[in-house]
Amino acid sequence: MSEMQKDGAAVSLSGLRKRYGDVRAVDGVDLTVAPGEVVALLGPNGAGKSTTVDMILGLTRPDEGTARVFGRSPEEAIRSGAIGAMLQSGALRDNATVAETVGIMAALHGRPGRTRAVLEQVGLTDIANTRTNKLSGGQKQRVRFALALVSEPDLLILDEPTVAMDVSIRRDFWRAMRDYTSAGRTVIFATHYLEEAESYADRVVLMRSGRVVADGTVAQVRAAASGRTLRAVVPGVGTDELERLPGVTGADVRAGRVVLSCADSDATVRALLSRYPDAADIEITAVNLEDAFLTLTAEPALAGGEAR
Amino acid sequence: MNPRYLLFEIRILIRNSRFLIFTVALPAVLFLVYSGIFGDQGENYPDGTPVRASLMVSMAAYGAMSAAFSTSSLIAVERGLGWQRQLRLTPLTGTGYLLTKTALAMLLAVPAILIVSVLGAVMGVRLDAGQWLAVTAGLWLAVLPFTVLGLVIGQFVTPESQQPVTSAVTIVLGLVGGLWIPAEVVPEWMQTIMKATPTYWLREVGHSAFAPHPAIGTAVAVLGAYAAAAALIAARRYSRDAARV
Repeated sequence: MSEMQKDGAAVSLSGLRKRYGDVRAVDGVDLTVAPGEVVALLGPNGAGKSTTVDMILGLTRPDEGTARVFGRSPEEAIRSGAIGAMLQSGALRDNATVAETVGIMAALHGRPGRTRAVLEQVGLTDIANTRTNKLSGGQKQRVRFALALVSEPDLLILDEPTVAMDVSIRRDFWRAMRDYTSAGRTVIFATHYLEEAESYADRVVLMRSGRVVADGTVAQVRAAASGRTLRAVVPGVGTDELERLPGVTGADVRAGRVVLSCADSDATVRALLSRYPDAADIEITAVNLEDAFLTLTAEPALAGGEAR
Repeated sequence: MNPRYLLFEIRILIRNSRFLIFTVALPAVLFLVYSGIFGDQGENYPDGTPVRASLMVSMAAYGAMSAAFSTSSLIAVERGLGWQRQLRLTPLTGTGYLLTKTALAMLLAVPAILIVSVLGAVMGVRLDAGQWLAVTAGLWLAVLPFTVLGLVIGQFVTPESQQPVTSAVTIVLGLVGGLWIPAEVVPEWMQTIMKATPTYWLREVGHSAFAPHPAIGTAVAVLGAYAAAAALIAARRYSRDAARV
């Protein structure tokens, strides 16, 4: 087991599996995150992001495989204050003020003196004496960010941190995050906002159906689904035949139009026109991260169903 | 137990005055109603236990039990909020969390017992100082297993189901345990059933100050067994259930 884990990794997951009844929430995840990396865990709902995060935090025990954080078990890492996390759900108590909430978490970490510094760092000093149930969504999110920072963790885990924020607050949030990570801290954040992954992560890990389907820099992930997309109306032709065209890596029919993923769109378009002179309304576009994301996270069964 | 965390919880609870009043006031009102209805139907039960003092003990026991169970709703809500998950990301242990909640429930039981006792004195229950102490302190100590049972309920129910579940448990334990229908007036086979509940023995401890033949040893044994079993279940459940609710 230990030889599988790279020395000095901030997070090292090997063969991680978790099922809930018949659902394989996480189905064999191997992932190593180096100290200082900012990693986006990207994927649609139900991809297994939150379950993976829960296993890194020791909140969920894997059925198989291991999760290590700085070479220790998640529980040990939590106890030493090495992990800070901002979870998806509220996690704030009614009738407690901001200062009390941050204060109790600081105290439980054995660092009651941290309260004031964290409140300042996250910009909560003005509303320190406000009860948390009186806060706006963005303010609540900031309080939860403060809770994650209270132990000065080396690893910060954020599960869909900006989900309830409007655009400007979201930008402020990421600015605060940037300040924090400039000190060389490791961050893993789960999101389904592509632009967040693109703007703030050094590395993107794409998940689908409990597995990692792509892993690399934003540029690399985009390249993994590289090439171009060719759309056209081709009457009376099935996807099976179109897939055999030169340069085609995948074919699909959406809204009555054929959508071809092409490694070499020039070869494809020549062959398409010579074999199917009826082909019309041809459009060739470059793949953006969104397309890459859709391509890599699409459910195979669903794409097949649509093609028929 | 973590005293700082307990203090935090107490502060939040004090701000939730509606919750406090309801928990403490209902048994007091019930005591007044009951003693109005039954208080004059003779001085003593057939076995010699004074009726009014016994009613007082029953309602104080009911109040203490309600207070003890009140943490179940708090815990269910905390689980629903994700607060418990947030706590699991601190060095606070499961035992520390559960003991803090137990302490909170024990504190809540104090006013529940005292208010009914004061009303009892006003309504004409006559006990000497030692007996008063035995009734109040006895009930308070004997309610401990109920606080642990409250933890168990809280760890299993959802915020939506906690209210009916806690009410059902309270009513069943109160009814079968003889808080509303005294064991002194029911047939022996029913008494046998009553003796399986922790509530019967909670009341027995309260009675021991003035009843003719208190079975205090059995009470301690039964209540201790309930507390131990409930503690085991609560601890196991806490360590397993970290899921998002």
